[in-house]
Amino acid sequence: MSDTVPAIATERTQVRLSNKAHTILTQMKEDGYLAEMTDGYRLGIALALSMGVAPGEFPAENKNFIAVSTLDPSGEIAASIRILVDLEGQSVYGYAERLADWGIKEMQDRFRGGFLDVAKLMDEAPALPA
Amino acid sequence: MILHTLSSTNFMPYLGKMSINFPTDKDRNVMLVFGDNMRGKTSLLNALRWVFYGKAIGRHSREIALFDLVNIEATLEGDWSIEVVVTFEDDGHRYEMRRTATKRALVSIPSRSEDLLMERAMRKDDIPLGEHLIDAEINRFAPEQTSRFFLFDGELLDEYEQLLIDGSDQSKLIKEAIEQVLGVPNLIRGRDDAQTILKHAQKQQTADLQKMGGFESQAERQRHYQAQIESIEKDLKGQNERLKQVNDDRIELDDALEKVEALYQAKQKFDDAVATRKENIDRQDDLQQQRLLLVKDAWKEVLRPLLTLKRNHIHAQYLKLTSQMLARDKVETKIEQLAVAVQSQTCHACGQALHQKERVAAATELGRLQAELLGMKLDLNFFSKLGSDVQSLDKLLQPTDARQIAFIDKEVSRLSVEVTKLDNQIDALDELIKGQDTAEIARKRAKRDGLLKESARIAGDIKSSKDTLEKNQRELAIISKVLEGLPKARAAKSSKLVKLASSIEKAYARSIDQLRDDLKSTVENLASQAFRKLSTQSQYSGLRINGNYGLTILDERGQEVPIRSAGAEQIVALSLIDGLAHAGRSAGPVVMDTPFGRLDKKHRANILAYLPTTTSQLVLFVHEGEVDRATDLAPLRSKIGCVYEIKEISLRHSRVERINQ
Repeated sequence: MSDTVPAIATERTQVRLSNKAHTILTQMKEDGYLAEMTDGYRLGIALALSMGVAPGEFPAENKNFIAVSTLDPSGEIAASIRILVDLEGQSVYGYAERLADWGIKEMQDRFRGGFLDVAKLMDEAPALPA
Repeated sequence: MILHTLSSTNFMPYLGKMSINFPTDKDRNVMLVFGDNMRGKTSLLNALRWVFYGKAIGRHSREIALFDLVNIEATLEGDWSIEVVVTFEDDGHRYEMRRTATKRALVSIPSRSEDLLMERAMRKDDIPLGEHLIDAEINRFAPEQTSRFFLFDGELLDEYEQLLIDGSDQSKLIKEAIEQVLGVPNLIRGRDDAQTILKHAQKQQTADLQKMGGFESQAERQRHYQAQIESIEKDLKGQNERLKQVNDDRIELDDALEKVEALYQAKQKFDDAVATRKENIDRQDDLQQQRLLLVKDAWKEVLRPLLTLKRNHIHAQYLKLTSQMLARDKVETKIEQLAVAVQSQTCHACGQALHQKERVAAATELGRLQAELLGMKLDLNFFSKLGSDVQSLDKLLQPTDARQIAFIDKEVSRLSVEVTKLDNQIDALDELIKGQDTAEIARKRAKRDGLLKESARIAGDIKSSKDTLEKNQRELAIISKVLEGLPKARAAKSSKLVKLASSIEKAYARSIDQLRDDLKSTVENLASQAFRKLSTQSQYSGLRINGNYGLTILDERGQEVPIRSAGAEQIVALSLIDGLAHAGRSAGPVVMDTPFGRLDKKHRANILAYLPTTTSQLVLFVHEGEVDRATDLAPLRSKIGCVYEIKEISLRHSRVERINQ
């Protein structure tokens, strides 16, 4: 699937996950930190958003991960992104999958080989500069 | 009696040869043997008991099996022979008493006491005595019945404190032991014999009455009560035997359980630790499940600070635009009013006609406001978006429970530490109890508890049987009394015998009471004498003896002192023992094992000062916790004849060494 952002994005029905991030989430679930990989996916999006990250290109090695309707049934994730980010016409879920990919890798870097300290993630979430 | 030497071979922890010399100088008649617990102090006391009486006493006054007297290391090398020799003098004669135990012929490896053959020999002035004379000689200077008062250990003091608890099993046993020493049993046996004669006579009387005319009904009643009494006595005998058996079994189980108490406690701790570990693990699992549910909403909490700021920012914008809109509304309303006024030339408020000057002013104001309105442009779409965003943010910022993850993580972490501690504890305890049959221990505990209940039940049955027996005996006595009054019956030989036996039985009963009272009075005086010397309280005037030979302290007014300390209990018990020792025999050596357990320095000093004056020799087996060599012995130094120390070579091998010359 191409990552080129169209001028007026058509919204996705599926979100993708890079192979590496998929491996990370699989491991986190196996380690008992996540009930579902989707929970880690949402955490990744939130972490990247909270850090004000401008995510790069989505990795070429990726796979379809989950339906948008399952990931964000009430549209709260999309709403959060739209409020916090000027999408400039980009697809909100296309942007979300790039945020997720960055955030998942960041989580692995922070808690490599150890405990997925969600409480710390919540405490350390930075405030938006005024 | 003066002890000279004690020597042994392979006796209990004393592997090979062991020898000690007693002090024979009457001015320096104190001997001290120091030894830590489990080193062999009581074994020395038992060596003396065994050589004289052929028995060694363990915990709870139970006899130690001959098999267990042989040093274990010696048996491992195939040596099953033990020997103890004591030399002493009495009444100008020199004695040597020797006792040995050896493996019986045809026994390859002994496995029980019966596999060993015990023999004894005594020499008096170097001349061997016949076996039949040995007991008589021993009874002259150290009768076995009194031995517990001159060869005693600290445990005996605890037993004697039980005398103060009327009715306890232990106090009954001690009372019997005391009366045994003081000679009461001889009278009791006499009374029992008289009762037997009386019973035979009453039976004969019954038979005679049946032959006489007119006494059939009395004879029948007499026979009925005699049969009842015989039956109850038989029951009582069985009940007493059963009670003894149950108590023996219980004591045996108590001893066995005491040995494995530490193991049982370890098993209990092990089970508790395993159960607590399981609870912790279950709680951890439960918390982990809660945590997983909470992680679902954690993303909102990660975003909360940012979204809150954003919401505040948007809300502020929204409020600003709202106020701008209100201002614009005001201006528009004003313009509308002024336009109407200028056009209609009437005041919009009062409806009066406007003068030219006022109309011009209104038109000017209208123009100014119209210009102002042009500068108040509002982006309604933006305003609407802001409102929509605030609503979305309010929804997103609704509280979640995800913050509880921090608490759960702390709790899980704490539980992990607990589980690790428990794992270590479980490993250590498992190592301790590995290979031990803890189920068997639990079975023994349950059986012991059952025997305790059984013992109480039998005691109740015995009391009930005794009550019935007394009632029947009274009825029989009434019949005998009635018959005595009848001339024809009185003339019968058997009736005369009944009367005679009845009188003898009563005489014995009165004598027993009299002797008991006399003995108690003697013991009370002697014990009070000792107590006044031993006690540190000058206001105590003496002791009063109760029916069980228990003693109560009296104050200076002769009133009983109701409460006393553990140390005072020990002094009272020691005074009783001293009184009994002197009431039962002439002064001789006294050997005490661990006698100062709960005593303070002053009491210890009193004992050390007093006892050497009432004994021919005072031998004390003590540990460092009881007697401080530096301080306690200073006032006694001139009286100490010799000091020994027991040293541990290995767990099963101790050695006695003299440490002063």
